[in-house]
Amino acid sequence: MSSADTPTARSAGASYGKKIMHDVFSRFGAKLGLTWIAVIAFVAVFAPFLANSHPLLLSINGEVSSPALSFLTSGDVTVLGVFICAVALYFLRLSFTKNIVVLAVVGGGIALLSIIFVNPPQLTVYEQYRVNESAANYDWVIRAPIPYSPKDYIREQGDTGLEAPLSNEHRSHLMGTEENGADVLSRMIHASRIALAIGFIATGIALFIGVILGGLMGYFSGVVDMIGMRLVEIFEAVPTLFLLLIFVAFFERSLYVMMIIIGVTGWPGYARYVRAEFLRLRQQEFVQAAIVCGLPLRSVLFRHMLPNGMAPILVAASFGVASAILAEATLSFLGLGLVDNPSWGQMLNQSVQSSTFNWWMAAFPGGAIFLTVFAYNLIGESMRDAIDPHLKRKS
Amino acid sequence: MLLAVKNLKTYLSSGAEVIQAVDGISFNIKKGETFCLVGESGSGKSITALSIIQLIPKEICHHPAGQIWFDYRHNDGTKEQVNMLDLTGHPQRDIRGARIAMIFQEPMTSLNPVYTIGDQIIEALQLHWPELDYDSAKQRAIEALAQVQISDPEQRVDEYPHRLSGGQRQRVMIAMAMACEPDLLIADEPTTALDVTVQAEILRLMKELQERRGMGILFITHDFGVVAKMAHNVAVMRNGLIVEAGSLQQILRQPKHDYTKELLAALPENMIRTRTESGEGNRQTQATVENKPILVAKDLKVHFPVKKGLWARTASYVKAVDDIDLTICEGEIVGLVGESGCGKTTLGRALLRLIEPTNGTICFAGTNIVPLKRREMQPFRTQMQMIFQDPMSSLNPRLNIATTLTEPMAIHGIGSNQEERLDLARQMLIRVQLSESHLWRYPHEFSGGQRQRIGIARALVLDPKFIVCDEVTSALDVSVQSEILQMLLDLRTERQLSLLFITHDIGVVEYVSDRMLVMNEGKIVEQGLTDDICHTPQEAYTQQLLAAVPRLYG
Repeated sequence: MSSADTPTARSAGASYGKKIMHDVFSRFGAKLGLTWIAVIAFVAVFAPFLANSHPLLLSINGEVSSPALSFLTSGDVTVLGVFICAVALYFLRLSFTKNIVVLAVVGGGIALLSIIFVNPPQLTVYEQYRVNESAANYDWVIRAPIPYSPKDYIREQGDTGLEAPLSNEHRSHLMGTEENGADVLSRMIHASRIALAIGFIATGIALFIGVILGGLMGYFSGVVDMIGMRLVEIFEAVPTLFLLLIFVAFFERSLYVMMIIIGVTGWPGYARYVRAEFLRLRQQEFVQAAIVCGLPLRSVLFRHMLPNGMAPILVAASFGVASAILAEATLSFLGLGLVDNPSWGQMLNQSVQSSTFNWWMAAFPGGAIFLTVFAYNLIGESMRDAIDPHLKRKS
Repeated sequence: MLLAVKNLKTYLSSGAEVIQAVDGISFNIKKGETFCLVGESGSGKSITALSIIQLIPKEICHHPAGQIWFDYRHNDGTKEQVNMLDLTGHPQRDIRGARIAMIFQEPMTSLNPVYTIGDQIIEALQLHWPELDYDSAKQRAIEALAQVQISDPEQRVDEYPHRLSGGQRQRVMIAMAMACEPDLLIADEPTTALDVTVQAEILRLMKELQERRGMGILFITHDFGVVAKMAHNVAVMRNGLIVEAGSLQQILRQPKHDYTKELLAALPENMIRTRTESGEGNRQTQATVENKPILVAKDLKVHFPVKKGLWARTASYVKAVDDIDLTICEGEIVGLVGESGCGKTTLGRALLRLIEPTNGTICFAGTNIVPLKRREMQPFRTQMQMIFQDPMSSLNPRLNIATTLTEPMAIHGIGSNQEERLDLARQMLIRVQLSESHLWRYPHEFSGGQRQRIGIARALVLDPKFIVCDEVTSALDVSVQSEILQMLLDLRTERQLSLLFITHDIGVVEYVSDRMLVMNEGKIVEQGLTDDICHTPQEAYTQQLLAAVPRLYG
């Protein structure tokens, strides 16, 4: 067989992983969950173009400029860059590990470059565009679909706080405004970034630690297992919420600190799963066969055991993402989240600050938290069903 | 007629797919008769049994045609012919358990572990005789246990299932099935999970009970030896159809259908016959048995510590392998026989250092491999290989066959580049009678027999001198088994391989091995030339073991 026709021969068989993924996403619940997450992801990536007081394009005296682009922060640039890279990788169809490596390298590179080179203006005056537009100073202007930034309090129009959805004749606020007068929908859109980031990064940290420690515990058992399990028990006894509260109270309120704490205290669950899987897999005949063939430990652990033990861990991880989002929402609701950037939990907190009940300020962020957590749970549930041979036979 | 199945069809639907599991079969069972359904896996024999007792969920199964007429004896003694397929609700539950009872294959899981065995029998009794009070029901339960020859039934009735051995649990299952005095007993592979000696006792017990009670038995099995012991009438099933039915003697002595002939010819017992009849050199290597030894194990011990108490003190040891001396010569096939738990698998794995021996030496080609470090073991890994029992779990489901076969070659520097290794893998696949297009497939796309061939190919790519075959055929159907055995014999002469053939099936050992070892409780009871041991066993244990093997014509 020449190497030219090898790829077609390769595609003759579908791998186990692909089969499982096909199985997962042919389920209604998973489709629903995935659709919602995809919507949130899209909104999060393109937030600066969806909700922004800075016009996307404008022309003054024939001179075209894009305030939205020039006001992009280094964070925005990184997110966009990683997204474009991910889309490109999807079409290149490389192997899974290659994808991860390329994504990590490109993401890190873009982040570094954007921190150095992207310098948005320090001073932002949101009102100028509306003032200039009504004074007809622009030849033409293209606005974002929601022409309000999350921190644009629309001060030039007097008190705009606590307007119910679509109650103002001059401005359209699809989800109303909060007590300072900023557009709720815009805040929701920008907050989706925090929800996604905290879920993925905190769970990623927990998975990384959990898989490595759990794998070593399961494979070597004996003394390694005993020490590891005591470590697991110690970390399981750490009250995460109170630790977060203490950190937030004494140090700066940072999203990254939150991610790290949720991640570092969340790994014992994954470690237990991986350990149990490895204990089971170690006795499996294909692992024994790999040892008999004299394969090195690296190959036995990461080629033969880990991929076969990954499925239940991914299930746990999808529930873990949901609980990390909830943890952030809880903290923000308690008023210990981020100070100035909006997050769904913090918006819920805002809704109880006012003496009157403003339903739009509670329903939309609350609904978003609910739907996102629900979506992750649906995906987790479908994954669990897909990898459970007993359930599969019945369905 | 106790049971008359007429043109029964059972179609199972999984998703959009419809499987014609049972596709129009008819048979009759009289009172006091044992009717055996034999067939290979997937032939629809278990589905037939489950259809009769209506245990398949209605959502996944339907019967496009057929009737199952059962002679329903009412509690007042009157009889009525009922069609089991039409029954629902109350009469169906009345028949289940009370008139038709069923025993399953796996005694380890068919008893509920949180109730005593007495409670489980009493529950069934009180369900069918509500007027029975607890004490008299318990009395009947004790009688039922005594009937299946469980010693000390008064004490045993209050014990939990985990205290009983596999054979005892199967007895309890039979006691439970018999407690309500059914007219028909359906036994779905009731002895497949048991050792031969226990199997012989259970079969004897079932025959006795049948003689005393005069019930009909529908006996489902894949084992012709068991059929020969039990059946009055036999039906051979294949792909949901009965290909041939008749009396036991008819089927065994004068099979008419080609498939029945094939099945019978594939039995090791018959394979030995044809070999001796055709005058083919019975043991090709009989002359070369005096070859120089390739593997010598001395005083080999594998003890597993049993830890007890707060400080995990080592209280005692499980002596899985206890002081075993063993020699295997070049080009020789040594059979290792023993019942489950005798330590034969542990011994096989210890020889390859998959399990570290507690004590003793293993000399492979003159080098003691026990003290060797991981790296020093590497050159020996190519020479000593293993083929595993379960074709489902012996291949990594995430790797395609090409990777599975070429990865060990790459580690050991066989073939200078990947292209060359793929070529070697292709040749090996063709040698084990698979096609080279299978290289890019994944394990789940293969049948059990094909996977076992891939397992053999994986062991052979490193060109080993010595292979441990751990129950390689026990998960396979007889026809596939005979092909695999033949292939191993051919490979042995082709490559001068030495095999340690571990199995519980004495027929298989008789067919393939030159010498055999009989193992019990970690020790070797008897060893010698296979023919000698099979025909004139010296030790009491060996005699007992051989007597328990169900023979076709004995």
